[in-house]
Amino acid sequence: MCGIVGYTGKSGVGKVLLKGLKRLEYRGYDSAGVAVVQNDGIYLQKKKGMIKDLEPITIPSGNTGIGHTRWATHGKPSDENAHPFKGCSGEFAIVHNGIIDNFITIKEELIEKGHEFSSETDSEILVHLIEEYHEGNLLQTMGEVIKKLRGSYAVCAVQRDSDRIVVARNQSPLVIGIGVEENLVASDIPAILDHTNEVKYLEDGDIAELTPSRIRIWDRKGVPVERETVEIDWTHEDAEKSGYEHYMLKEIYEQPKAIHDSLLGRLVEFDDVDFNSYDTRHIRLISCGTSYHAALVGKYIIEELAAIPCTTDLASEYRYSSPSDLTPFTILISQSGETADTIAAAREAKQRGCKTLAITNVMNSSITREVDEVIYTQAGPEIGVAATKTFTTQLIVLYLIAMELGLNNKRLLRENVQEYRDELRRLPRHVKVLLDQSDYIRDVCDKLVTAEDIFFVGRNINYPVALEGALKLKEIAYIHSAGYPAGELKHGPFALLTERTPVVSILVKDHTFEKMLGNIGEIAARGSPIISVGDEDRELEKLSDDMIVIPSVPPLFSPILVNVVLQLMAYHTARKRGCSIDKPRNLAKSVTVE
Amino acid sequence: MKAVILAAGEGTRLRPFTSSEPKVMIPVANKPILHHVVEALVDSDVTDIVMVVGYHKQRIMSYFGNGEDMGADIEYVVQPKQVGTAHALYQTKDIMDGEFLVLPGDNLIHRETIDYFLSERHGYSILITKNEEPSKYGVVTMLNGLVKKIEEKPAESESHLISTGIYSLDTDIFPRIHDLMMDNVYDLTSVMDDLKEDAPLHGISTDFMWMDAVYPWDLLSLNSAALTDIGTSSLGIIEEGVSIKGDVKIGEGTVIKGGTHIEGPAVIGEGCEIGPQACILPSTSIGDDCRISPFTMVQNSIVMSGVNIGPNSMIDSSVIGEGVNIGAGFSSHADAVDMKVEDGFEMVEKIGCMIAEDTLIGSGVTVYPGVVVGEDCDIRGGVVLRERCPPGSTVL
Repeated sequence: MCGIVGYTGKSGVGKVLLKGLKRLEYRGYDSAGVAVVQNDGIYLQKKKGMIKDLEPITIPSGNTGIGHTRWATHGKPSDENAHPFKGCSGEFAIVHNGIIDNFITIKEELIEKGHEFSSETDSEILVHLIEEYHEGNLLQTMGEVIKKLRGSYAVCAVQRDSDRIVVARNQSPLVIGIGVEENLVASDIPAILDHTNEVKYLEDGDIAELTPSRIRIWDRKGVPVERETVEIDWTHEDAEKSGYEHYMLKEIYEQPKAIHDSLLGRLVEFDDVDFNSYDTRHIRLISCGTSYHAALVGKYIIEELAAIPCTTDLASEYRYSSPSDLTPFTILISQSGETADTIAAAREAKQRGCKTLAITNVMNSSITREVDEVIYTQAGPEIGVAATKTFTTQLIVLYLIAMELGLNNKRLLRENVQEYRDELRRLPRHVKVLLDQSDYIRDVCDKLVTAEDIFFVGRNINYPVALEGALKLKEIAYIHSAGYPAGELKHGPFALLTERTPVVSILVKDHTFEKMLGNIGEIAARGSPIISVGDEDRELEKLSDDMIVIPSVPPLFSPILVNVVLQLMAYHTARKRGCSIDKPRNLAKSVTVE
Repeated sequence: MKAVILAAGEGTRLRPFTSSEPKVMIPVANKPILHHVVEALVDSDVTDIVMVVGYHKQRIMSYFGNGEDMGADIEYVVQPKQVGTAHALYQTKDIMDGEFLVLPGDNLIHRETIDYFLSERHGYSILITKNEEPSKYGVVTMLNGLVKKIEEKPAESESHLISTGIYSLDTDIFPRIHDLMMDNVYDLTSVMDDLKEDAPLHGISTDFMWMDAVYPWDLLSLNSAALTDIGTSSLGIIEEGVSIKGDVKIGEGTVIKGGTHIEGPAVIGEGCEIGPQACILPSTSIGDDCRISPFTMVQNSIVMSGVNIGPNSMIDSSVIGEGVNIGAGFSSHADAVDMKVEDGFEMVEKIGCMIAEDTLIGSGVTVYPGVVVGEDCDIRGGVVLRERCPPGSTVL
């Protein structure tokens, strides 16, 4: 996972590139660099570390350049392995996002021909290939080079004394921004928004050439093509912190609006997908990480509202599993739509003859090209590495899907639907009220800050929420935590409970409430501090050391509210521990490696 | 030129509507008062805005973001403790430069108000306006275009001119505020009173829009003022048999069901379900994600977001807070009421009920004119409410 940006236009390219990279930081941030085209060569500056570690003052003026923020895949983060790469002659520079599968063979061939490599990356072969094949026209050269490649790439190349940027894309995102007397190219929209909101998405196999005044695109056969111009309605609000200390906190507080936006125009009439035209007698939900927890909650939602049997799979497991004769309707969930394993699972499902639906937050992302149907979550861009509002809106979409399926197969009566609609419509308000408890939750977190192990327990629909709570705490607060179905504690994990292992327990007044109370009693007997999250209850309050009460909703909708509490818990604990909340160590926002 | 908007205070006299939201975020015509202020500034080409926030600041920050959506560039400065307006302004001293405007975030203004002030101001200036009840405000006494005296909420006032709290200042004000704070003076009115001894303070008098909501019932007149000229537009779905007259604005994703009658000026937010057979009459604002059930009438009222009103209900000249859930057959008629305020009574010509956020009301409840129901109350079915309900009360 990396972010790339290219600009050709007026002077001051250094500033444009750095600002663009800053906006792509969520795609990776272990090293960064820029290349600026000069008359007599190409200026290069690259460094291991964050984008802010680059030195803007030393970047010379210029009109054309490319930049890169890296997330190491081949080769560790270092100054040498940072992009851009210049090759032997210094005439060209490239940046690359993706993975070239056959780079070792190509590299050996190039070394034989006398090329000298300065890094351990797969990307560097690209610039040497360009040098090798160059016969006067960079565009043609790029066409030759990509024929050699197997794997995924979004690549931008520039040449000494030229205002031209040549780009190519295959299975890695690349979008062109159309400006006035300036044009841009980047891995994602936020890097472009400062200059224009009109963009063109490149398709796999496309090559394009950008100059300040012109954009030309060719498809994989070398035929000139027009790609549709799309107007983006995201604004910058979306990409900046506006008063909040961290993106994550900003995004947690954006959830009432995100829920509202995800429901908009879908609650009374849902016409994103006509499920009647598919066989939905069996459903499979596939995803990774936090999205997998949404899938697990989705299973409970769909089974309750539509009584359709659901199975869930991790994308990285499903894609290597053995096919069966069943062809369930397959729902793939990926926030970014770029998750490599989920995309591969979508292809695999199609291969196995299943109809596929993707739930994603990113318009025209790679996964949308692999599936039969797409539903967008409408959460707006999420910059914090820890998923918050996108998880919440994934659940909202799953409620909408389940209601629609339930109406179709008559498991859900029309007269009951109004009640569910009212409940969904009230969720933004409930979350807003819950967020007002932030300071109280912060104080409760004092109990978690020094813990080395924390358990999260829940039952039924809140069991996956316990898993998600534990994951959040691991990712941003670096505390070992584990989620369990409360009934499973005594089958092993119980042995680990002591006075030093806090237990966060989720209890809502559903049919498992009594059983949960029993479990809490057992935990209390081990002396573990208990923090309860859920519906108000006197007995529960007595058993708990701390109690965070959520607004009263039917148990089916409680995961949304419980999860907001667990998000704030993870946030405040991480903050008290001084962790780098928006950019946790070793993690990237979109996982485009397998 | 930069503008500083003071938006840190709670606005306690508007309780219970400020229990979880500052006064500046109370909606009139479906936009927070502060949004109207930002719009007026942007329309007058003042786009560089600094907001001083404090009380429930997240509500403001999440709503406005960095201002891009409104064509503004908004920066936030936090006043950790709300001790006074001068102290609030002082928090911005490190990011201000040269001349700037200062405005309160809780008054309804128009672009003409700002345009006029911008063209008339010279040096230190203050915008003043006429008011029938000057003793609620900073009363200004003028002499030859200059301010002779400003006095905050005097018992006896010699003038009908009041300060709008809108100033044109420069960074020289900060050392003065600093010195006065040493003497425990924290409000901007007193700072201006002190300033006029050393420098001419110009009083710019205006008749353009400037409205303040001191008490909850004042919100209704702000609402109807903000609803004038809203125009007609709909992004929602309007079913067959709906009749719409006058200026009516309907938001995205809202469904207006058959047989519903709407008479403008009225605005209905996003994601609502209205009707069938509901009746929305003039000067009504309905927020986002609301449901108005069949045979229910709402007129001259503010219904905030996330409100559910059951069938066969009547809501007149009332303010219904966010997330309020009202059962079937609710009745709140409007009448003239002598409302109790801190220092006596205030006659209100027409007022229904005022119900604060997240209160739950059962079926068949009647609320008498002028009754204020606090937040998070549980009013059970069949109750007749004649008196104020404190927050969190259960009424059987």
